Amino acid sequence: MRELLVGNLTWESLPHEWSTIGGTLTFILLGIFAVIVITRMKRWKWLWNDWLTSVDPKKIGIMYFIVATFMLLRGGLDVIMIWLQQSLSAGTSHGFLSADHFQQIFTAHGNIMVFFVAMGFIFGLINFIVPLQIGARDLASPFLNTLGFWLYVAGVIMVNTFFLFGGKYAATGWLGIAPLSGTQFSPGVGVDYMIWALQISGIGTTLGAINFIVTILKMRAPGMKLRMMPLFTWGSLCSMVMAVTVFPLLTATLFLLFFDRYIGTHFFTTTLGGNAMMYTNLIWMWGHPEVYILMLPAFGIFSEVVSTYSRKSIASYWSAVFGMIGVSFFALSVWLHHFFTMGAGGDVNAFFGLMTMVIAIPTSVLVFNWIATMYRGRIKFSTPMLWFLGFVGTFAIGGMTGVMLAQPPADFQLHNSLFLVAHFHTMVIGGVIWGIFAGISYWFPKMTGFRLNERIGRYAFWCWLVGFWMAFGPLYVLGLMGATRRLDHYDNLNWQPFFVVALFGGILIAIAVGLQLVQIAASFIQKRQLADNTGDPWDGRSLEWSTPSPAPFYNFVNIPKVTSRDAFLQMKNQGIPKPVYKDITMPKTISLGIYIAGLAFLLGFGFIWEITWLIVVSAIGIVVCIVLRTFDEETEYIISAAELEKMEKARTQKLLARLRHDDTYKDEDMGLREFYKSVLTWSQDFVKNKRWKTF
Amino acid sequence: MSKPMNHEESVYDRTMFGFWVYLMTDLLMFAVLFAVYAVLNNSTAGGPTGRELFSPTAALTGTLLLLTSSFTCGLAMIAVRKGNKNQVLFWLTTTYIFGLAFLSLELIEFTKLIHEGHAPSSNAFMSSFFILVGTHGLHILIGLLWMVIIMAYVVSRGLTSNMMRKLALLSMYWHFLDIVWVFIFTIVYLRAFV
Amino acid sequence: MSKSSHQATVGSYVSGFILSIIFTIIPYYVVVNKNISGNQLLAIIIGFAIVQVFIQVFFFLHLGRGPKPLYNVAFFSATLCAILLVVGGSLFIMSHLHYNMDSLETAKQLAESEAISQVEGNKTGACQAIKVNHKIAIMHTQISPTITEARQCDTLSFINSDSVNLKINFGTPTKSETYAGQTELSMRKGLSDTITLNQTGTYHFYDPTNLSSTGSFNVQP
Repeated sequence: MRELLVGNLTWESLPHEWSTIGGTLTFILLGIFAVIVITRMKRWKWLWNDWLTSVDPKKIGIMYFIVATFMLLRGGLDVIMIWLQQSLSAGTSHGFLSADHFQQIFTAHGNIMVFFVAMGFIFGLINFIVPLQIGARDLASPFLNTLGFWLYVAGVIMVNTFFLFGGKYAATGWLGIAPLSGTQFSPGVGVDYMIWALQISGIGTTLGAINFIVTILKMRAPGMKLRMMPLFTWGSLCSMVMAVTVFPLLTATLFLLFFDRYIGTHFFTTTLGGNAMMYTNLIWMWGHPEVYILMLPAFGIFSEVVSTYSRKSIASYWSAVFGMIGVSFFALSVWLHHFFTMGAGGDVNAFFGLMTMVIAIPTSVLVFNWIATMYRGRIKFSTPMLWFLGFVGTFAIGGMTGVMLAQPPADFQLHNSLFLVAHFHTMVIGGVIWGIFAGISYWFPKMTGFRLNERIGRYAFWCWLVGFWMAFGPLYVLGLMGATRRLDHYDNLNWQPFFVVALFGGILIAIAVGLQLVQIAASFIQKRQLADNTGDPWDGRSLEWSTPSPAPFYNFVNIPKVTSRDAFLQMKNQGIPKPVYKDITMPKTISLGIYIAGLAFLLGFGFIWEITWLIVVSAIGIVVCIVLRTFDEETEYIISAAELEKMEKARTQKLLARLRHDDTYKDEDMGLREFYKSVLTWSQDFVKNKRWKTF
Repeated sequence: MSKPMNHEESVYDRTMFGFWVYLMTDLLMFAVLFAVYAVLNNSTAGGPTGRELFSPTAALTGTLLLLTSSFTCGLAMIAVRKGNKNQVLFWLTTTYIFGLAFLSLELIEFTKLIHEGHAPSSNAFMSSFFILVGTHGLHILIGLLWMVIIMAYVVSRGLTSNMMRKLALLSMYWHFLDIVWVFIFTIVYLRAFV
Repeated sequence: MSKSSHQATVGSYVSGFILSIIFTIIPYYVVVNKNISGNQLLAIIIGFAIVQVFIQVFFFLHLGRGPKPLYNVAFFSATLCAILLVVGGSLFIMSHLHYNMDSLETAKQLAESEAISQVEGNKTGACQAIKVNHKIAIMHTQISPTITEARQCDTLSFINSDSVNLKINFGTPTKSETYAGQTELSMRKGLSDTITLNQTGTYHFYDPTNLSSTGSFNVQP
């Protein structure tokens, strides 16, 4: 009877260990706090109508950022535990984590950082910026956009649900290599949680990628040919084409693993014909292009940042474009370098080793292009430019270690060592994460209407740069000394000092992230003074800068006619045309995205715990929702020319009113001391005047 | 870019293209299942091979049924362009019947195999066979469901431009499934006897 | 909906249908009647399948006949390349892995190295019965005997009669050789290292720390 109702769930599935109780309580308390605040501020309707069901890619982008930041902190907590454990657990001491717990932590860390932090930020940026850059009002399918976002959120929730139900996550490493991830060796639900979290968010990614491709190829402003597109849009296009090519591979592979676990098939088992090596082959066929999917938009961001802050157009547009296309093309043919040691032999290893080394060529073309852009530019060392400079050195060094690893003989020594761990963190942090930071600080004024605090931004950058090298430099050395990855304990006490240095580097990184949160808060406090009143704070060249800051929900009053590259620069030179008010069609809000994603979550949960009625009901529900949505004819509404004119004129009035007061704001960006004082004053006022009553 | 399209045309164009890209992702998913079948189809762990289990005649029958349904689907699309609602419903029903016949044959084959003890969990060859052919069958089932729903909407709302667009998507999907089947027929059923 | 963008006519569907039937029936008959076999047959049926796919893509899906730019065609071609990569790459990798890791070859090699003479009815290269054991005493300054005559499947022991650990390399100082899969043997003091003489021919060895100290052995079948 219990099985009919709740499948395999038992009372033991609920939290009963310090870590799961702690994790569950944290989420529950955060949730309760959020509910209380929103209720007291009476913002439920606003939250639902203006944000959760919004199809505005700008709002969806910001929601992606918020969830990704939250997961950054969650994944960061995992890393701190790893650093602590590895510094303590040497020789006779065994740290504070059991081996099994440690394995779950590094698995969750990998899944969260790749799927939910990096992909979240990248999708957020593409959503926000690409329509503005190509002169579109929205993406090709607003429905797929919101659906993709909520499927991502469903994945985020799924990867954390094990705290409440089940208590254990997968302990297989972030890719769940078979046969360890099969039922025989991972009998619990941990791997199932991993499969469904990745599967649900993976489908969201595929849908989002299709959406972006159609938008970029079919919805550019009239006159904007492909050769006139900004480089961030090019990077996004290449990345999304790769995504659409390889995410189906992930979907299929995860389904095969799921079938092995759920109905006892023998794809990757150790008996009856299963071939576990095929799993490794398939999963890396997805896994390697995935990291380039993350990297290409970052390349696009850096191209824009370098150009803007050197006040020069990119040295060679076509080198940048073909460099990015070249990287995407080759990225699809190198995946075996992740398993040189599995035994395919010299011929196979040689081919893939050579292809891996070849990728260094288009990448270097890009790097030299950026450096050539800086040459004889009039460089402004704002924070985005600092991120770029940090990136160039770090990424180049990381890339060189990559070429080292690409040699099969060297890889036989370094495979799965800490050298490898240091290499890929260099690429992902130095490349993707710092690219995201550069992009967010560059486009922040466009998103919010005010720029970020430069002073604290600089502190954060330096802490990140020094912290990163302190944390991962020792890992390169350790790897060469023979330390393997994923060690929860080691006997060689000579290694311990390196791990301790890495821990301090990690603390510095944690401080850096803290400073970035402080930076955002400080910018909010000073937002009047930091306001971007023109819409074009950095003298930009692409179309997003032609809109006011923050961009209105319809992006443009008139879709501009484009005649050249650097379209906005062209407009500034030739004169910006006056707005002509016409009716515009905008999509309505959509709640079915949330419902479908919620049902997808329940479907996954039903499969994990084998709750048959839940599986059936959720599946039917999803089909019904899809049918309701696709046969809904009333999906758009019209803003009349008169309304448009009224909104535009109101904004101008507000801006003028603000500008009249702006003479008083001549202070510098606040530093940490001023921020501390500001927060202290506010807290004292809050407590003294019992301001919680007025919410 | 050629002459600018009006709003309806551009929505149609974008939808067709977007759906085509989705079909490409589906094709890639099938590619993985084909790759897995190619690697594992000899791993019978001592059990029977395809030569002993498959009937080429049954497979040919199924293939011809599905091919016919793809053809009648094309005729339905011609009726759509002519705006002839009754013809559309007639040809779609024919497509449905042939598609259902194909799926039934397949289900009968699966049931027979499982009853004889050759289940997906028997060995790697059976696993890859059932999942490759089964996934195609699931796609057919979804297509049939889609056909019924669209026919219901055409009956109630008539052949509006929205409906025409959706019918175009369905026919693209249905032709695509027949194309995938050509490969399944060849690589699974015919190849077993090579 | 623009009617000009699709040249879908009854004719195109009928021709596609008939051609597809032909391209289905022919490979079916070829396979069922078993006129040809093996790789030729496989190539034929796959060839027919590929052509039929293109027939259906052209006649049923009208690919390539829409308005320019032909993004559909570009994505279709790219997908085909990706499929070749996925399937071809997997077959390339997995067949090499199979050969190295799973095959009868590997099992035989492992057995041979442990002097087991056959696996699953297949003879390994290992010797059936050990015959004669020859001894060579190695000292830092001297190798005795310098020339050894032996027959295949005899064993040869290199005994370290010195008071330090010694090594010998196969081949000459200018040209290294391999015997029994090894380029060098090391012997701790007082102990020996024995190899089975599976390979026929004349082989040399030397002491790398004393290049004038050389020797050879000749293995007759």
